[in-house]
Amino acid sequence: MNENDRELLEGLRSLAADGQQGAPLRVEERLLAEFQRRTRVRRAAFWSSGIAAIAATLTVMMFLGSKQHAPVIAQTGMEANMIEVPGSQGETAMSFYPLPEASELPPVENATIVRVALPVSSLRSIGFQVSDEGANEPVEADVLLGQDGLARGVRFVE
Amino acid sequence: MLESPSPSDRDLLRRIANRDEGAFLTFYRRHQGLVYRFALQMSGKAEHAEEVTQDVFMQVMGSAKQYDAGRGSVAAFLIGIARNLVLRSLERDRPYVVLEDPDGENTWRMVSEQDALDDLTRQERIESLRKAVLALPPAYREVVVLCDLQEMDYAEAADVLGCAMGTIRSRLHRARALLMEKMRANERVVV
Repeated sequence: MNENDRELLEGLRSLAADGQQGAPLRVEERLLAEFQRRTRVRRAAFWSSGIAAIAATLTVMMFLGSKQHAPVIAQTGMEANMIEVPGSQGETAMSFYPLPEASELPPVENATIVRVALPVSSLRSIGFQVSDEGANEPVEADVLLGQDGLARGVRFVE
Repeated sequence: MLESPSPSDRDLLRRIANRDEGAFLTFYRRHQGLVYRFALQMSGKAEHAEEVTQDVFMQVMGSAKQYDAGRGSVAAFLIGIARNLVLRSLERDRPYVVLEDPDGENTWRMVSEQDALDDLTRQERIESLRKAVLALPPAYREVVVLCDLQEMDYAEAADVLGCAMGTIRSRLHRARALLMEKMRANERVVV
């Protein structure tokens, strides 16, 4: 290696050490926000697919057994908190409780309501106090799905 | 009490795939400098380096599961993504490449205070070398950035660029010769 080569390599080392060595903090902040957004969407999708699976199971069970409680599916174009689906005889219709993360999703333009049976313990995830006793008992609920198939809210049928 | 060892990249990527925010942050902080410097040294523009860094880690977010340790190091994996983004943008901007920003806002500029003539001369030389690196054709520029500026060994650089080690060695040799020519030409202009 001659003098010129050494000088060049030394210059390149100085160049490598000079200037900004890392991305500004705003890049980390933007990435973190995006990571959290994707996590929320994924959780909402998980809720929806879980509910859809339960609904499908329930449908099959009802088809095989009694036909008294077939799932009710209704289409509506109203906002989530405005939807009024009358309860059938002996039932009381309730407002929809928003699911966690649902506020981050786009507004509902075309909703689908699916009636499913959920374990009582699932009420905990939306803030209800539920004792361990009977937590695995099923409770009937209407789940509000948006046009993207993601769950927005749930109401329980008394 | 023994401190817990820092998690491996492989472990972090597995946890990122399971939406572990802490793992993502650790992974990002560990590798962002490498990606950012590579993009900055290749493009010469801070805003571009910022954009590339963001895009690389967006891809990691969505495809952490796809990393295959058998196909190379994490550094090679990340620089590979960054390289594709940089080359695409160099190709796109080719007719409009600006090596110098009159305001000095968006270029890879020196941030240290210059209060002595020696420092000024040194900074001028670095600046001149920076311009010479940026003026190299991309195939030569990337070997200089990887091997001389990022201090990667030939094997890792070959891994990133998907070529033989001999190719890296010969390109680097040629790139340094080009840099030397440019530096000499600059000195003649100054004299």
